[in-house]
Amino acid sequence: MKRMLLTGNGAAAWGARLAATDYIPAFPITPQTEIIEALANWIDNGAMNARLVTLESEHSMITAAGAAAATGVRVFSATSSQGLLYAMEMLYTVSGWRAPFVLTNVSRGLAAPITLESDHTDVMAARDSGFLQIHCATCQEVLDSTLIAYRLAEDARVRLPVIVNLDGFYLSFTREPVQLPDQQIAKEFVGRYDAENIRFRASAPVSQAVAVLGGSPYSYFRYETHLAAQNALLVYDEVAAEFNQRFGRQHNAIEEYRSDDADILFVMMGSFATKAKEAVDLLRDSGQAVGLLRPRLIRPFPTQSFQHLLGGKKGIAVIDQNLSMGMGGVLHAELSSALYGHANAPATLVSFIGGLGGRDISSEEFFEMAAVTRRAVDEGVTPAPRLLYNETELREIRKLQAVAQSEREELHNSADKPSGEQQ
Amino acid sequence: MYRIRFHGRGGQGMKTASRILGTAFFLEGYEVQDAPRYGAERRGAPIFAYVRADHAAINERGIIQHPDLVIVADDSLVPVAGAGVVTGIDAHTVLLINSDEPPELWKQRLNFAGQVFTLPVETEDRAELRFIGATCSGAAARLLGVITRASLSQAITEELQALGDAVVDKNLAKALTAYDLMEAHRGCVGTSSKVSATDYQNPAWVNLPFDDARIAAPAIHAAATSVQVNTGLWRTLRPVIDYELCNKCWWICSSFCPDGAIDVDDKGVPHIDYDHCKGCMVCVAQCPPHAIASVPEQEAQAQDAAGEVT
Amino acid sequence: MTDTAETIFKRLRDLPSTHLLGTGTPMCAGCGGLQALHQIYDIIGEKSVFINAAGCMTLLSVFPFTPFRGSWLYTAMASAPAGAQGVRDALDILLQQQRIAAEEDMEVVVLTGDGAAYGMGLSSTSGAMERDLDFLYICYDNEGYGNTGQQYSGATPHAALTSTSKGPRGFSGFKKDLFSIWAAHEPAYVATVIGTEPLDLARKIDKARNMTGPRMIIALAPCPTGWDYDPKQSVDIGKLAVRTGIWPLKEYENGKVVHTKIPKQRKPVEEYLQCQGRFRHLFEPQRNDELIDALQAKVDSYWRDITE
Repeated sequence: MKRMLLTGNGAAAWGARLAATDYIPAFPITPQTEIIEALANWIDNGAMNARLVTLESEHSMITAAGAAAATGVRVFSATSSQGLLYAMEMLYTVSGWRAPFVLTNVSRGLAAPITLESDHTDVMAARDSGFLQIHCATCQEVLDSTLIAYRLAEDARVRLPVIVNLDGFYLSFTREPVQLPDQQIAKEFVGRYDAENIRFRASAPVSQAVAVLGGSPYSYFRYETHLAAQNALLVYDEVAAEFNQRFGRQHNAIEEYRSDDADILFVMMGSFATKAKEAVDLLRDSGQAVGLLRPRLIRPFPTQSFQHLLGGKKGIAVIDQNLSMGMGGVLHAELSSALYGHANAPATLVSFIGGLGGRDISSEEFFEMAAVTRRAVDEGVTPAPRLLYNETELREIRKLQAVAQSEREELHNSADKPSGEQQ
Repeated sequence: MYRIRFHGRGGQGMKTASRILGTAFFLEGYEVQDAPRYGAERRGAPIFAYVRADHAAINERGIIQHPDLVIVADDSLVPVAGAGVVTGIDAHTVLLINSDEPPELWKQRLNFAGQVFTLPVETEDRAELRFIGATCSGAAARLLGVITRASLSQAITEELQALGDAVVDKNLAKALTAYDLMEAHRGCVGTSSKVSATDYQNPAWVNLPFDDARIAAPAIHAAATSVQVNTGLWRTLRPVIDYELCNKCWWICSSFCPDGAIDVDDKGVPHIDYDHCKGCMVCVAQCPPHAIASVPEQEAQAQDAAGEVT
Repeated sequence: MTDTAETIFKRLRDLPSTHLLGTGTPMCAGCGGLQALHQIYDIIGEKSVFINAAGCMTLLSVFPFTPFRGSWLYTAMASAPAGAQGVRDALDILLQQQRIAAEEDMEVVVLTGDGAAYGMGLSSTSGAMERDLDFLYICYDNEGYGNTGQQYSGATPHAALTSTSKGPRGFSGFKKDLFSIWAAHEPAYVATVIGTEPLDLARKIDKARNMTGPRMIIALAPCPTGWDYDPKQSVDIGKLAVRTGIWPLKEYENGKVVHTKIPKQRKPVEEYLQCQGRFRHLFEPQRNDELIDALQAKVDSYWRDITE
């Protein structure tokens, strides 16, 4: 076992390599490209025995990935943001094939306006697709989760594709010390992919992914996929325990940080959660009983674990680095639904939207979120969802709008139609 | 925790510098986080990279707001507001600037109470500061005081080995020279104190007002607003036309300038828009009578200043 | 004519008389696409995996019924060639690593309608050809989005009435020359076929089967439902498509295009148009000579370029 500095992208590539992946359909997109570049280089210089093919789109890439998994080889692929959305039809499709493989998503905000930096709206858009989702907070986790993801995907009780998510820039381009598992032990852990009877062989013809007519068979097949996804809760725990046994790192479905005796908890996912840890430490230094829960597993959603871990807590600050238009933070909504009507559920669940498009979240903001949540608990009134956005930022956007000649004053003062259109 | 920020221009190896320092810290047994930070901008544009190092696991992420050490590979960036060189510095911050001007002058200019050190500039051709990354990391390693010569050497070897032994050796020589040059100031970099969770500055959140889509859609209702971006700041070399030699061909430099930053007046005389010339030197390469010279930007600025004085 | 020495299909008597593709499919009675497909399947055989894109033939395999004796994978409308890429690559990996025996290998066949081939799937088809994918592509071309009720597609001929071109002049666009678009990629093989010329079809499929690389086939698929004619006329209409010169039978190989059946005395295009409801507006309530002549002129111009 070797410890070395790796970027999140490097860790993802190492994960695919250590899992003895056979096939990598690829398509470049920032900030994912280093992953496929690293894999291509390893294949070219003989360090890795696999085949990498660049398709002409992510839609085709996921089609090829699913088709290869459905033929019985181990598949890895990677994308980000617009690419994930371009492939969206196929995400739903190949999970329905029950084709297991691992897809790394390097999270990046979605257009419009198009941007390069990170948030989770892209991967949240895939949450109903049938792909399971593991969210990482460190480069180490990216590597470890990739190995775990193969076990999860290929388990006979699950047999679904898995997305391993990491944040663009904050993990993708950031180097951290990563313990590199021994190739042989990793290989033993991941094991061989047994496609069982769902694969193409001349001697055993199979028609896969066929149509159905009518809602009843459709309901059956879709709900079976849901049940398989739910099985993944149990399987994840088993696989994570075995991973810990072999490699000495425990990756629970929900990471708990100083949460046992906390009365206020932050709940958030992804790499910004380590910033929350830092804030928790500082809040603890000042005598406040604040902790953090970070779901690694988003699909399947660890409902019961949340009910258990949040039971009896006073106030929860859910920080969503995503935005569902007309609804708000996705994690807040999902957590509310998990807790609703559950005895002992915390009465106060405050929603914060922050870190959209890579916008930083400062320590002071974590302190303030804890303070707002404590105030809500004390007063028994939950405040409206809060976007983390300050006066300086608003002033800045007004300056940019002046350059863009978005004439705010004029617009507010007149009901005229825009010019250039015939009246 | 050490928080270190490198500032340079795209192409000057700031990512490599941060990686060398990160690896050196790692070899010394530190937990490390290093990352470059770049947007859509390109070669010559200001970029930065950062390194965090600590004996405990690092939970901070992203841009370093309050650096302990700031390294500036190109002193022409210091006055560039967009480069953010001086963002978040205070009296505890150490500034290391690659500059021929004395530290006292920089302190005075920046009205800065902290320590400033300079590294002598070794090449005239500032666009080709090929070893500046290694030099900066060598000097930084000594200022930090916790990185041995051996770890620095190993870090450089590891980070640059793909480029071949000759490149490694040259970088080693430069970095170790810089390391030794800072011997007198070893260990002068301290770490900043923790933020307080009780006495903190309120983040001043605002409720985002609803704006009509006519202003809230990402649209620019004007032409060519990009001229407000002063890309002339990217320039490390300046093309200067010798009008005695110019044969008034009226089109070559103007047509080939990728940025359209050369206009020709009605007498056939070309004029370079230095607010936007990025210093690619295509005009220098193409001018048939070789009427355009390539002058280091800093030298050109000094001449400008002298001209104003006299 | 092609070099008959390459093929076992020298005479009509050489064609198979029992058929591999299962009966009982939901295709329309008189479907010209199914006619071509079962002839093709006889030659390719069950050691094949058909990768399908959304279209009429997606309904060939409806749980739990399939007519295929070999394998099948439904993908989506746009990306069947990418599915073929994944299956082909996976089989190659398994063969190379000796994880399967050589006899477990299969021919990978893309099966799409004209909607996917001429439109949404063109990018993935182009990609598969540029990657020199070893596969066979069968497009059954019924000249419209048939499975959704025959709206016009990139394959719809000029003046045809479709459910989205019901005006007096029918479809205002022109049928896209997919053969040439494919041939411009310089794949191993491109051919047009039709089920009503089974010997020509058999020779071409047999030839394609024995090649490697991208082998691209467009089968004109007379469509009683979409073209509005009595199902019993399917073969007559298909034959007229060839004899009027509307559907040139040809193949591309090694940079050259060869016509495999040049109609000696081309019949007037009118004969082909007249028997289809989708062109009835050219004759009723009154004859539209301008459009009929234009359609004839286009065919004449095509063959003038070929025969001169």
